[in-house]
Amino acid sequence: MPVEDRPQHVEDVIELLLGQHMLIRELFVEVQSSTGEARSEAFARLVRLLAVHETAEEEVVHPLARRHIDGGEQVVEDRLREEREAKEVLARLEGMDHDSAEFESTFAKLRQSVLEHAHHEEVYEFRYLRGHYDAERLRKLATQVRAAEKAAPTHPHAGLESATGNLAAGPVVAMYDKAKDAMRGMSRSD
Amino acid sequence: MTFNPLEHRGIPLDRQVRNWSELDVEPVDADHSDPYTKCRIIAMNGIEIEALMFSHHFARTCPSMDVKRQLAEVRYIEQQQQKAVNWLLPGVSSALETTISYEQVAVDLTAWVARMEPDPYLKQAYEFGVLEDFDHLYRYSNLYEMIQHRKAERLVDELTEIIPGRPTKYHHRNPADNVREPYDRDTAEPISKLHALTIMATEQQTMNFYMNVGPEYMEPIARQLYQEIGLVEEEHVTHYESLVDPGETWWERLVNHEYNECYLYYSFMQTESDRRIKAIWELHLDMELEHLRLACELMREHDGREPEEVLAPELPEPVTFEPNKDYIRELLDTQIDLTTLGAGYVREAHERFERMQENIHGGEAPPSERVVDMHREQFGTDYRLSTEGEHPVERLRRQPAGQR
Repeated sequence: MPVEDRPQHVEDVIELLLGQHMLIRELFVEVQSSTGEARSEAFARLVRLLAVHETAEEEVVHPLARRHIDGGEQVVEDRLREEREAKEVLARLEGMDHDSAEFESTFAKLRQSVLEHAHHEEVYEFRYLRGHYDAERLRKLATQVRAAEKAAPTHPHAGLESATGNLAAGPVVAMYDKAKDAMRGMSRSD
Repeated sequence: MTFNPLEHRGIPLDRQVRNWSELDVEPVDADHSDPYTKCRIIAMNGIEIEALMFSHHFARTCPSMDVKRQLAEVRYIEQQQQKAVNWLLPGVSSALETTISYEQVAVDLTAWVARMEPDPYLKQAYEFGVLEDFDHLYRYSNLYEMIQHRKAERLVDELTEIIPGRPTKYHHRNPADNVREPYDRDTAEPISKLHALTIMATEQQTMNFYMNVGPEYMEPIARQLYQEIGLVEEEHVTHYESLVDPGETWWERLVNHEYNECYLYYSFMQTESDRRIKAIWELHLDMELEHLRLACELMREHDGREPEEVLAPELPEPVTFEPNKDYIRELLDTQIDLTTLGAGYVREAHERFERMQENIHGGEAPPSERVVDMHREQFGTDYRLSTEGEHPVERLRRQPAGQR
């Protein structure tokens, strides 16, 4: 059973995002250890997941961290910079031949920076949030993020073909924008 | 293919200091590297830490200023070696991931040593201990899926099975029953001395690691599990260190330490799958050959003996990380019920053991049981990686939820 189809057992928003960090990590490995169509397909899933995940963090987690962690402003600025850089590299990767040496070396660098970024979030942000917010609030945020993901046109659980279609039709940046719209729509309706 | 480290010249000591850029090693990849490469890094880190702490203890009891200075010079290099080795671990791995690799080391290194050990009493000590580390691997792997949402098979890569061993709750013995009889330094095989030093060093580093990273976790069950298993690692250090003959002189022990470092670097150089890391093992072997030569000179001068009297004429077969699944299953089948009494082993839960169990558990389920219960609640079952069929012990086979 692919790790993404595992029954959901996530509780609060921290667990949800942590679980996504692990999925992202596995998808990086999957892209690197496949070729041809399989690689492009894994890469498409990775882009979709990164788009919804990073957007959820930008819209939900970072604002909380900014307000309630000592030095939160600066911590979040550092994370946003890392996210911006990753998005730019993703956009460049999209235009490359996925089996080329250029793709592989750029992708390897992206993987390293995304893994480090995730590690920084876990160590400098996530671990403090539980100390500042009660369990109920964090659970509610998880529900919000999940609902927004479902609403986003880039949703990772969408059928494979239509999802690949989405990717072909929209560049990385547009996908991030759509995820953001969906996430904000949910926040407003909350 | 034989190798006698006494016959090879290494790098002169005054050329062994490395600068910052040489020490700034690139870590191995967290997800693509051979799990056994990580095991070799972790084992070698333990060996280096034992070497340099031994040197500190020696210096504290050593009245000769010249010897103290020589120890300091070599020890500084050993500190640099430790940095170059342990910093190969990837920063993006969590402490719990490193912990799972530590337990993979404990399982496959101890099993290998047990298989190769010629002395039956010492062999029994390793066979006894390995079933406990094997269970720790299972407990931490359940914790891993719960708090990091990932399966430990991504770390051990099916080289090592993850199923219950001797249950951790039964590892808490009266401390006096952790003391074994030592080997006799005059009659023990050289390989037996190297084995004891190796396993003592790696278990000691495991103890140090858990006692320091445990409180870094926020999840109560993680903090508690590190406390519990950390206490068991203390028992293991007591168990293994007591195998070493306390009658060995400081000089003899220094020579044994240096010889063992040569043995392990040579072994890992022979068996390493990653060419870049292999070059590090080779460089460090060349450094250790010189440390050994210096230790041998001290022994000749202060002990009035030839090192050849206590050392093997050539290095034994290389220490190899390889799967030990059948061997572990055989031990599970035959030794799961053992505990210790005095310096020996028994099957019955004797009075001193029972009293310790009551004192420490206080009628409650310990963290090692609760972590599995919590995993069952969350996922419906415990986490296992079983590649060779059913558990050899019937009562430890997986039971469906609701039947427990």
